[in-house]
Amino acid sequence: MSSDKSLYNFPFSHIYVEERAKEHPLTKEILTRYKKSQVIPIRHHKDVFNRPRQSFLLQKGAPSLILARNPGASVFRGAPVCQDFGYDHFYYCSTARNCIFDCEYCFLRGMYGSGNVVIFVDLENTFSEVEALLKEHPVYLCVSYDTDLLALENLTGSVARWIEFTREHEDLTIEIRTKSFRKDIFEKIPPCDRVIFAYTLSPQEIIDRYEKRTSSLSDRLSAASFAMEKGFPVRLCFDPLIYCKNWKDIYSSMFSEAQKYIDFHQLKDVSVGSFRISSEYIRKIRKDFPGSSICQFPYENHGGVMEYPENIKNEMENTVVTLLQTLISKEKIYRIDLEENI
Amino acid sequence: MFFIVCALTAEARPLISALSLRRDDNACPYETYFAEDCSCVLCISGMGPVAASSATTYLLTRFGTKNETDFLINFGSCAGKDPGLHLIHKITDSTTGRDFYPDMLYDLSSCGLPSSSEKALVTVSKVVASLEDPNLLYEMEASGIFQAASRFLPPHRMLFLKYVSDQGVDDPKKITSAMLQEGAEKQTSTVLSVMKKLEEACKEEPSVDEDLFLSTALSLRLSETMRYELHQLFEYALTENIDIRPILDDFENQGRLPAGTKKEGKAVLYELRQKLI
Repeated sequence: MSSDKSLYNFPFSHIYVEERAKEHPLTKEILTRYKKSQVIPIRHHKDVFNRPRQSFLLQKGAPSLILARNPGASVFRGAPVCQDFGYDHFYYCSTARNCIFDCEYCFLRGMYGSGNVVIFVDLENTFSEVEALLKEHPVYLCVSYDTDLLALENLTGSVARWIEFTREHEDLTIEIRTKSFRKDIFEKIPPCDRVIFAYTLSPQEIIDRYEKRTSSLSDRLSAASFAMEKGFPVRLCFDPLIYCKNWKDIYSSMFSEAQKYIDFHQLKDVSVGSFRISSEYIRKIRKDFPGSSICQFPYENHGGVMEYPENIKNEMENTVVTLLQTLISKEKIYRIDLEENI
Repeated sequence: MFFIVCALTAEARPLISALSLRRDDNACPYETYFAEDCSCVLCISGMGPVAASSATTYLLTRFGTKNETDFLINFGSCAGKDPGLHLIHKITDSTTGRDFYPDMLYDLSSCGLPSSSEKALVTVSKVVASLEDPNLLYEMEASGIFQAASRFLPPHRMLFLKYVSDQGVDDPKKITSAMLQEGAEKQTSTVLSVMKKLEEACKEEPSVDEDLFLSTALSLRLSETMRYELHQLFEYALTENIDIRPILDDFENQGRLPAGTKKEGKAVLYELRQKLI
């Protein structure tokens, strides 16, 4: 693949619009922002998103945008490889697919055959699904798993809508996971103690190498600190921990940096987990990204989940947990336990 | 390698000349031309989606494809309102109603194909008398070519370039070879410029030294599963820019490579892994 950027179209140079989504107000609003883009009508988002043999790698360099209506259910039970933070009714929802960031280790690379971004414009239908669930029991819902919603906020405004929706439904708690630096949302919208902003943190060296287009460590910390200041609960996710030869040094520097911005005692909680991915996904990713060291690392297969060798995984997680215990009470530290979850 | 499919000789002639392609004198089911350096091969499919589909399959089967370095270009005439050369972002097969989407990754504006030149196209089974939708282009091959090529190439390795020859005619005989050739001649420099630009996107990535891998796997007496593990270590070393040869040389100097037994081979594999990570 050539790295010459002039070879490729600008992001969202092509916007595919599903027939049944074209009249939706959000579609119209998004299209007004991309006047230079080619708008291509399509019957169904899968006609473009699910084409065989697409290059996730190349599409990440020049992603197209697909505006669609969610074809079916958009709320699902949380996966065993994900942390439930002690909530009984753990769900996630999919209102967008893929994100504008380009993390080499992202499970979405294994899950989807396309690097293009899909936005389901009919968020109101997802809200109806959540309301139906809420009639049965309280719900803990991760709304930013298949994308980074906060990074797409300029386009969709859906984070603001989720906050308002959650405020109106007292049995609902949501998590918005992000690597974004943006703070403006915390000024515009009053806080809600059931809207948790979860910042994934990595050492700057890992960000530079593996988390392309995401914000810097200091920007993420600054945004997290600002959210806390404004009264939102904040979670820090040291997950995935990424191994490299000097991991001890760079993670130690990261914690020093984090303490400059964050009063750990004020955090909602923290999560710790070393990198893991399903064996099915890694097979696809390795084929699609032959030049990525994080994809080609010789992981060990533990019951269908690829993980670092036991000694590396334990040492990394134990070191980080031990360090965190000096900063925050034990009860607030959540460590992924795959055996228990599976 | 570029695979070019044109429906008619008149459409292809200017490209054949500009690329100095030689006619394949072997008995071929389709008129085929190729470059001496094997960088390009061109095929005349004949008119209609079935002929185009068959010719594409023939071309890609006979010459073989490599995903990372090949492009298929369909160049030809069409009916449409706006004159000039158009890059196609959507192909509709009028018979089946199915739509096909080549990936639009490359910015070809510097080649004379700005985004405003992009169009959607309808593949029909006979020459159109008028333009049902003046915003669309009409021709007779693209859907067949896309469907056949999809079996061999990913959607970002297919490019459909169509120049407008007419706005629909009541009698196909009104579209003469001379008209089509003249139209193709006007677009040849743009097509050449596009090919040059796409060549930049065809750089091969470094890959594992398969000979070294195979000889190492044999020397270590590895099982199939362990061979897979060894290959993964070779892949990882490549991404981390680690030269694996000196490490293997060390094992050789220690008398551990080749391994005497499977157990010894497994031990070397384990140690190699530790050294790499």
